[in-house]
Amino acid sequence: MSSSSPSGDLTERRGIPAAKFIQDVETYLSQSNLDSNSALAFHQERLQQYKVVEMKLLAQQRDLQAKIPDIEKCLEVVATLQARKGTGEFHKVELGYALNSSMQTLLRPCEDSFSSALLADFEVSEGIYSRACIEDSDSVCLWLGANVMLEYSCEEATALLKNNLENAKASLEVLVADLQFLRDQVTVTQVTIARIYNYDVHQRRVKQVTSTAIAAADA
Amino acid sequence: MQQQGKSSGSEMEVTWEDQQNINTFSRFNNRLHELEDEIKFSKEKCENLEDAGNELILADEEMVRFQIGEVFAHLPRDEVETRIEEMKEATCEGLAKLEQEKASIVSQMAALKKLLYAKFKDSINLEED
Repeated sequence: MSSSSPSGDLTERRGIPAAKFIQDVETYLSQSNLDSNSALAFHQERLQQYKVVEMKLLAQQRDLQAKIPDIEKCLEVVATLQARKGTGEFHKVELGYALNSSMQTLLRPCEDSFSSALLADFEVSEGIYSRACIEDSDSVCLWLGANVMLEYSCEEATALLKNNLENAKASLEVLVADLQFLRDQVTVTQVTIARIYNYDVHQRRVKQVTSTAIAAADA
Repeated sequence: MQQQGKSSGSEMEVTWEDQQNINTFSRFNNRLHELEDEIKFSKEKCENLEDAGNELILADEEMVRFQIGEVFAHLPRDEVETRIEEMKEATCEGLAKLEQEKASIVSQMAALKKLLYAKFKDSINLEED
């Protein structure tokens, strides 16, 4: 590619090559030794590649955007449990159950309901709920993935979740910046395609005019 | 995105500055669409919380089931009331911020439109389909 973008913009970001801005279509074509058609094909291919990357980034963005409220929910649950910590005393712990997709707390089937323990209805299976008492507890178990669950004190759990939340937010920010960069490249490429196309149409028209002029002169 | 269509055959000089303006416009346009979705979502959430709050006033039960995470916790009504009130406030605050951002983007887009149309006339189309 020949012509350059005047400002000292970066030439790539996270492996995404920047689209170069073309100052003048004619010099660009002659310098890169391309005719309009092959230049168009080249830029169109580029555009397709950009679109593929955009889809990937968008999928990542969706994942992160779903993850953030999930972590926030977990934090909310821990906070609720901590706020509940009070007087009630419970013994035997029998049931581990998901309080949230990534969090578990120890529950036991509930009979004696009136105490400071948190009474909760939780989904056993789709549409089926069961009631449980969440006993006063200093700890929750966090689902770490890879079939591993670890018990944390409420404070530690909050710190860990907060940290995760920060990380998720930071990666989302980077991702959004990447997407923005990518979209700029898409726009540059689209404009370039339009300009090459117009240049081509213009050239053809000029050629036609001159050839009819020559024919007229001959006659 | 719809910033092409420089149809008339005349050779129009496009400078790097123009290109940057077009890029910015495109960015704003994208953000505007995102914002519209976010605003719609926020509004719905706000209304739902409002409804829940009203429902709660009418309810005569002492304990209410309140969803935290995926679990319905049995909580006393006044606690749920304050929680819903807090959630509503936070949501409405967020909504106001989104509306503000939208207004600023709309006005910046209008300014860019003026600039670009002045230069490219009908060789550029910046309207939604």
